[in-house]
Amino acid sequence: MTTPQASVLDDLPGDLMMWVLILSELAVFGAGLMGFLAVRLTDPPGFAEAQAHLHSTGAGINTLVLVTSGWLAALALEAARAGRRARLRALLAGAALLGGVFLFLKAQEYADLWAAGLTFESHAFYTFHMLLTGFHAAHVLAGILLLGLVGWLATPRAVEAGAAFWHMVDLVWVLLFPVVYLI
Amino acid sequence: MSVTRAWAWLIALTATSTAVAAIGLSGRWLALVVLALAWAKAELILNRYLHLAQAPNIARGFALGLALFMLALTSLAVAIP
Repeated sequence: MTTPQASVLDDLPGDLMMWVLILSELAVFGAGLMGFLAVRLTDPPGFAEAQAHLHSTGAGINTLVLVTSGWLAALALEAARAGRRARLRALLAGAALLGGVFLFLKAQEYADLWAAGLTFESHAFYTFHMLLTGFHAAHVLAGILLLGLVGWLATPRAVEAGAAFWHMVDLVWVLLFPVVYLI
Repeated sequence: MSVTRAWAWLIALTATSTAVAAIGLSGRWLALVVLALAWAKAELILNRYLHLAQAPNIARGFALGLALFMLALTSLAVAIP
């Protein structure tokens, strides 16, 4: 009788398919960020002028909001493993609420750009900015719905999957924030 | 490191990123500093929020991929004439 060989993937925390999704999303956003910086080389003054119209402090606040939301999701997983359903639901509700705050601040930035006549087609900077941050915002919205679903299921496995997706959204933002808003 | 301590580090690193941009650091130095801070934040999220610290072999693979990606981003960011 043969013993099954241990795979390095056995050590992977959480569901393998969620990690496949996380890696896929990171690859898409990573390519987008590299494309953004590559196109910036063709018009540095234009990109700098366009970036000045963004809310960099608001984006910094949004980073604080999202990493705090990720912290609540991580605590929710600990509560799920401890069998504390009410606590895990409260923590996931807090994480989702902060996701809503993030989307509200993001919508304000889009509204201000729109009011200033700056759209998707105004400059390559805005094309990349709206594609990258808009796609990310869609993931935040999907993550809020997913947190609601796993909060309803309230099992450790479900909460682990939902929290992993939420942390991926968090991870993408901490890489996107300096590239699009600061440098 | 607990997730709460990781969160405190993430808050501190984010505040530092925003502060160095706000105090007027610009150009290549700003890019080098804020991308290094983003790298540190990404490692914290991978290892503490996503618990890769519990799987050192996989964590090393992610760390290598992230290092190469950050190197590419930094090269593009500082290549402006």
